[in-house]
Amino acid sequence: MIGYYISLAMRSLRGTPILSALMIAAIAVGVGASMTVLTLNYMMSQNALAHKDDVLYAVQLDSWDPNGAYNRGGRGNEMPWQLTYRDAEALLRSDIPTRQVAMHRFGFTVTLEDSEVRPFVAETRVTTRDFFSMFDVPMLYGNIWNEDADTSPVQTVVLNKALNEKLFGGEDSVGKTVELNGEPFTVAGVIDYWNPSPKVYDLNNNPFSDSEEIYIPFGLHRKFQIYSWGNTNGWNSPDPEVEGYEGHLLSESVWIQFWVELDNDTRKKEYENLLTGYIQQQKEQGRFQRPLKFGLTRPSEWLVLNEVLHDDNRVLGWASLAFLLVCVVNAVALLLAKFLRKAPEAGVRRALGANRNAIFIQHLIESSCIGVLGGLIGICFALLGLSGIRMLSMGQIDQIASMDWLMMLAAIGLAILASLLAGLYPAWRISRTNPSIYLKTQ
Amino acid sequence: MLKMQNIRKSYRTDTIETHALRDFSLEVNEGEFVSVTGPSGSGKTTFLNIAGLLETPTGGEYLLDGQEIGGLSDRDRSRMRNEKIGFIFQGFNLIPDLNLFDNIDVPLRYRGFNTKERRRRIEKSLEQVGLSARAKHLPAQLSGGQQQRVAIARALAGEPRFLLADEPTGNLDSLMARQVMELLEFINEWGTTIIMVTHDPDLARRAQRNIQIVDGQVSDLRQSIAQEEIATV
Ligand SMILES: Nc1ncnc2c1ncn2[C@@H]1O[C@H](COP(=O)(O)OP(=O)(O)O)[C@@H](O)[C@H]1O
Ligand SMILES: [Mg+2]
Repeated sequence: MIGYYISLAMRSLRGTPILSALMIAAIAVGVGASMTVLTLNYMMSQNALAHKDDVLYAVQLDSWDPNGAYNRGGRGNEMPWQLTYRDAEALLRSDIPTRQVAMHRFGFTVTLEDSEVRPFVAETRVTTRDFFSMFDVPMLYGNIWNEDADTSPVQTVVLNKALNEKLFGGEDSVGKTVELNGEPFTVAGVIDYWNPSPKVYDLNNNPFSDSEEIYIPFGLHRKFQIYSWGNTNGWNSPDPEVEGYEGHLLSESVWIQFWVELDNDTRKKEYENLLTGYIQQQKEQGRFQRPLKFGLTRPSEWLVLNEVLHDDNRVLGWASLAFLLVCVVNAVALLLAKFLRKAPEAGVRRALGANRNAIFIQHLIESSCIGVLGGLIGICFALLGLSGIRMLSMGQIDQIASMDWLMMLAAIGLAILASLLAGLYPAWRISRTNPSIYLKTQ
Repeated sequence: MLKMQNIRKSYRTDTIETHALRDFSLEVNEGEFVSVTGPSGSGKTTFLNIAGLLETPTGGEYLLDGQEIGGLSDRDRSRMRNEKIGFIFQGFNLIPDLNLFDNIDVPLRYRGFNTKERRRRIEKSLEQVGLSARAKHLPAQLSGGQQQRVAIARALAGEPRFLLADEPTGNLDSLMARQVMELLEFINEWGTTIIMVTHDPDLARRAQRNIQIVDGQVSDLRQSIAQEEIATV
């Protein structure tokens, strides 16, 4: 019977092409607009680390100014987002976490001897080796550097797939040499394509930018006098007695991102005790003059805390749904007009043995057909809208301004829901009307 | 077969209450061909609609095929209408964007027959009304008389026990009217009970029995015969 209703619906839609087009357009425009916004919001709220949400923690220590709490435009929990170098170095000595990562963004000038490739600057991450296993970075060739490279200078590098393609034509480059800032580095490994968006592990600058091209060990700071290419925040001037780069490493400037993996609650408790003890010990030495406070935050909460999805986006999401509702109301009016015009036919069907439900379902299916068609066109509108946003953002948010299958299904679902909603009242009206009225007026 | 006892039907609008049927009692037996006459607005269509379960009476008792209709749900009434009753209207009431085949298909769909059975019945009833060659035509491509024959085919396809016709010849010229009447008589000979409302005294007289409705009531039988005689003179 469903097949019969669908064929009746298609015939009916073809019978009034302009009215049908208007109704389909109303649904399509509403679905297109709301899916554009909802897709952006959905992609922005992705958590690439969801499967590790109960073991990973971003570490914060309140080492900030005793005269005023840390404040980043009203966001966050009034603690610095990053650690000082000296605190990171101290925490790395703990063996409570299964894994721990200290890291920040940087940039290296890359040159390749005897090569056509001109020198260029590559996005770099300076990190301890646990980064790769903690964030599930897939390896293509070779391996990560050894543990000693986290604390002592070893000139070794891991490339991402794209850079390996650019430098070595995509072949296994393990053991080969690249020059970074004029110094030779040995390729330890190459990672496969990996580009989580938003970049949960570092939300400091653009959370939707691409992952880094080059990864080098944390032990190289002093040798290359590495500063952060991301955010560095400070509140006092460095100790005048310690000069130069060493002064920077000992300063209260925060610029190191720190994550730990704690397998269970016992471990977490232990780590909390460690942090408490550490802060107390530092207090005795005259640091950490604010009330004792630290943060261990799961990836999902970290995304919320960092307001990756702004309140504005949420409001826009609701506004787009309100717009869809307006489109639905329009569709209700058009459907009602159409159904009432066809009321005599419904009367004849009733006389020939259709019960009220049959008439109701027939008309509801007709409006669902409008929904499916509107949904398909709505997806096209949303894809257009998203590509427009990609163009306006100049590649800043390429990854999030695209629809996945789930979102396409959601679009169809939304369209059917909208059209069912639109069809409910007209279909009900028509099914409740006494058929004799239409049969008598002859 | 059909038994109505003290049926009342009134319509209430904001200002006035119309009594379309009052104290209406009637019995029709299996296989009868009953014609119904009466002035315009006297309640003939209302009577047919109640008989055909399209409207519910305000009061009174109605038995169809031995079954009390009063307490039935919409679902049951619709099934009874589908299985036992065929309708023919003055305005034909074919669905304009369905071809003849699909028009006749409508009641069979609600009956739940499979494709093969529906096809068999559609072809048979089209043949009965002599329009087999036109199965793929749209109603608008036919003359009035042909359209009414399609409507009859549609009413017959479900093999109803009971055919209700509301001025089936009202929109037809006399030649076509006679053809339709002959068709109805033929159908009646094969056992279908027919109630036909008509304005045409000639046609009314051809039925086995004539009743007259005046002011929402069956008027005295003798009176109706007398009137008929006046009409014939
Ligand atoms: N749906 C309705 N609402 C209000 N009045 C109605 C309705 N249907 C019929 N009537 C009134 O009931 C009376 C009988 O109508 P009807 O049965 O159509 O008469 P007939 O078919 O004999 O011409 C008329 O006065 C008519 O105006
Ligand atoms: Mg009438």
